[in-house]
Amino acid sequence: MFVISFLVRRLAQGALIIFLVTLLIFTLLRIVPGDPVRLMAGGMAPEALIEQIAEEMGLRDPVLVQFGRYMSGVVRGDLGQSFVRPASGASTGGSSFGDATRGERADVLTLIGETLPMTLQLAFLAIAFAMIFSFLVGIPAGLSPGRWPDRVAFYVSSIFISLPGFWLGIVLALLLSVKLGWLPAIGYKGFAYTILPAIVLAVELSPVLIRTLTGSISSAMTMPFIAVGRVRGLSQRRIIFAHALRNASVPLLNLLGIQISGLLGGVLVIEFIFDYPGLGLLTINAVLQRDFPLIQGIAIVTSAIFVLINIAVDLIATLIDPRLEY
Amino acid sequence: MNSSPVLSVRNLGVDVGTGAGARPVVSDVSFDLAPREIVGIIGASGSGKTVLARALVNWIDPPLRIASGSVEYKSQNILDLAGGRMRLLRREIAYVGANPMGALDPTLPVGRQIVEKLSAVVPGIDPSEARKRVIDLLGAVRIPSPRLRFDEYPSQFSGGMMQRALIVDALVSNPAFLVADNVTQPLDVTVAAQVLRLMRELTERFDTAVVFVSSSLPTVKEAADQVLVLSEGRIVERNTPQRLIDAPQHPYTLQLISQIPKIWTSEAAAVPRTQNAARPTISIRDATRTYRVRKRGTFAAHSEVRAVRNVTFDVMPGENFGVVGESGCGKSTLMRLLSRLEFPDSGSVICNGKDLSKLRGKTLLKFRRDFQLVLQDPFNSLPPRTSIGAILEDPLRVHGMRNAKEIRERVLAVMAEVELPANLYDELPLGLSAGQRQRVNVARAMVLEPKVLIMDETLSSLDQTEQFRLLALFEKLQAQHGLTYVFISHDLAMVRRVCNRVAVMYLGEVVEIAHNERLFFDPGHPYTKALLSAVPTLEERRYRPEDCLLEGEPPSPIDLPPGCSFASRCPHAFDRCRAESPTLTARNHGELAACFLVGGPGARAAA
Repeated sequence: MFVISFLVRRLAQGALIIFLVTLLIFTLLRIVPGDPVRLMAGGMAPEALIEQIAEEMGLRDPVLVQFGRYMSGVVRGDLGQSFVRPASGASTGGSSFGDATRGERADVLTLIGETLPMTLQLAFLAIAFAMIFSFLVGIPAGLSPGRWPDRVAFYVSSIFISLPGFWLGIVLALLLSVKLGWLPAIGYKGFAYTILPAIVLAVELSPVLIRTLTGSISSAMTMPFIAVGRVRGLSQRRIIFAHALRNASVPLLNLLGIQISGLLGGVLVIEFIFDYPGLGLLTINAVLQRDFPLIQGIAIVTSAIFVLINIAVDLIATLIDPRLEY
Repeated sequence: MNSSPVLSVRNLGVDVGTGAGARPVVSDVSFDLAPREIVGIIGASGSGKTVLARALVNWIDPPLRIASGSVEYKSQNILDLAGGRMRLLRREIAYVGANPMGALDPTLPVGRQIVEKLSAVVPGIDPSEARKRVIDLLGAVRIPSPRLRFDEYPSQFSGGMMQRALIVDALVSNPAFLVADNVTQPLDVTVAAQVLRLMRELTERFDTAVVFVSSSLPTVKEAADQVLVLSEGRIVERNTPQRLIDAPQHPYTLQLISQIPKIWTSEAAAVPRTQNAARPTISIRDATRTYRVRKRGTFAAHSEVRAVRNVTFDVMPGENFGVVGESGCGKSTLMRLLSRLEFPDSGSVICNGKDLSKLRGKTLLKFRRDFQLVLQDPFNSLPPRTSIGAILEDPLRVHGMRNAKEIRERVLAVMAEVELPANLYDELPLGLSAGQRQRVNVARAMVLEPKVLIMDETLSSLDQTEQFRLLALFEKLQAQHGLTYVFISHDLAMVRRVCNRVAVMYLGEVVEIAHNERLFFDPGHPYTKALLSAVPTLEERRYRPEDCLLEGEPPSPIDLPPGCSFASRCPHAFDRCRAESPTLTARNHGELAACFLVGGPGARAAA
């Protein structure tokens, strides 16, 4: 019962958030300089043709009318079509006009549908790496504050947080892929291509996770029920894994929610460096080409992912600690 | 005493720190615990009781260190046992502490954690059998609907319930002995009395010997066969409780006994009746305060917590007015209404003829100046990184004083008045004792020369000696400045000593208002009697707990039953009490009680 009411309430809030984000992005995109039709039709297209195409596409209507038309499509699951990309494949950039008619342009939903799984695969692998590493370093550190595991965790996270992701990406690609030939790096021809970018992302994620885990475990270990648990006859292993970790996991989960959302931004640079065909690369190109429908589509999908992740995190947190129910 | 002792402690010493800085906390303690015996250990705060209690269950963590001696159980010194072997012995050695709310993991159901403990100390026990045993025992300690309670979380238990659950947790493995460290201390008096009765019953049923550690001699007297008096870590006297009280030998025991408040004997302080003045200082009229909280497990439903219900009383100038009641009775909400931190939903609070909710701007500032609050917790109520002088200067600045020299002089004058040494001016509150901190709190209120001080459990966290000193200070300040005090407290003995008139609250309602003497010698409401029956005192009780209180805890303020809210615990309740709610009825001399038995001829007979 609680779960249903929680989900209904939060999903309704989430829908509102996504709507506002869409409105904001839509309006801002219409205000920024640069005419997408000029880009689509090519620099050599006559002014009259551009006006005609713009009229046809409804780009000269008031922004709110355009938004209404767009939203009515969105609720039917139609995110529109790319201004630039043909359905057949790669981006044309539109140096000539007339070779790509509207009917052949790619559906935004299809473009996102092709790239999102790639990015999710990368993100989940990165989080898995980061979690495993953070648990291995952070738990011993939290259990012995002030002693050597704690100091190791501190140094490791200090070093990791100081490494810029783009630099680490280049260095690792050079080392592991070019010099040693262990892992492939550029492009995507199979799962192995995900590993290297995931490692780079994990290095960026783990310092904050390690610090939070260390702090929350060491503070969980000072709670009275831990000491009393020992006197009640619970084994040290049970105390740590069934109780301390459980109580320490709520702050970690909240952090993870934020981290995953941040990851979708961090992925931009890394995908660009590794030429990884994910949502990040798609976003960069869409922005460079002023491909309004695509940018909007990506914004809606990403904000929906943010909202869903936060709902999931809050739900899991209340399942772990029922006092958070409200 | 029969057979060989369960536990024998020999020359036990515990130090804090190591090397040259080591200081003994417990030294040279020796005693035996016979099977089924209850040994009480008593001492003031800081006497080493808790450390001793922990040493008995081999729970000494750095910086504490066992310095000497042994704790022998089954002819082995448990202090020498390694972790694993000690852990299996936990089945036979149980411990219940003073902090029931912190003792279990807040994120897991209570029942499951007790089962977890049982299967940790009795490896291989069948889970469904363990579950059944825990539910049976939860019923045995009179937790209502144990099957449902099994799956509830610690935050859904009240303090008293939780302490019962922990007693179940301790006894579930049939231990040979149980160390109970100050188990009744955090509980309300009526609940503490129930828990104490329960412990005695259970130890007989389960054949468990008990070491009962407490700072309250009256409590130990109720429980123990044999009392050890602990002073500065040493046992200074041992005897049976009655002989100890009748003929104490050691000066420390004498001192402990002399500090136990007197309630009914002639030594008890006589508090004068209040003179009725023309206009009351505070007049609270039919005030009600309800909080809305979201109902668990529903979509958008709210339930109403009725924290204060139709409260009406007057406080006269120069009076000491007491508000007593147990936790959750609405005392603190009432304090928030009186100090204008919140407004009543209906009714009004009138101070010096002005309705508080209508005060704005300058008049509000004036009211704040005249009505000052002194809070309960001496540790959290002072900012830790602000010097004491600055803490005391702040209110003066807020109220418009600008001249730095004058401010300093005023602060120093107040510090002298509350007997704080002037050299504390630039100190941080860090090193102060609880009593000194409470003086800083009083000084912070007094610096504005208020007319009314509202004391919300101000003395509860202090030990008897310090309480005496502060009460003397309050008396002096009252004589000098003509102050009016409102004491909000659960401590009836303190109220008996200082308050002219007392209002008793139960579940948000005032059930009785009476002058001091009348309240303690001829209470009009059965709840007042129940409270009096549970006051820890060595005197012959005027009211016996067995006659005054049924088992159970106050109903939740969310789902109030119809009729009198005390009916579920009242031994005199009859049909009418469960149907309609009694209103405050005049007895005489302006004394009121909300009970159908008051006023009618049946009243005397039933009382």
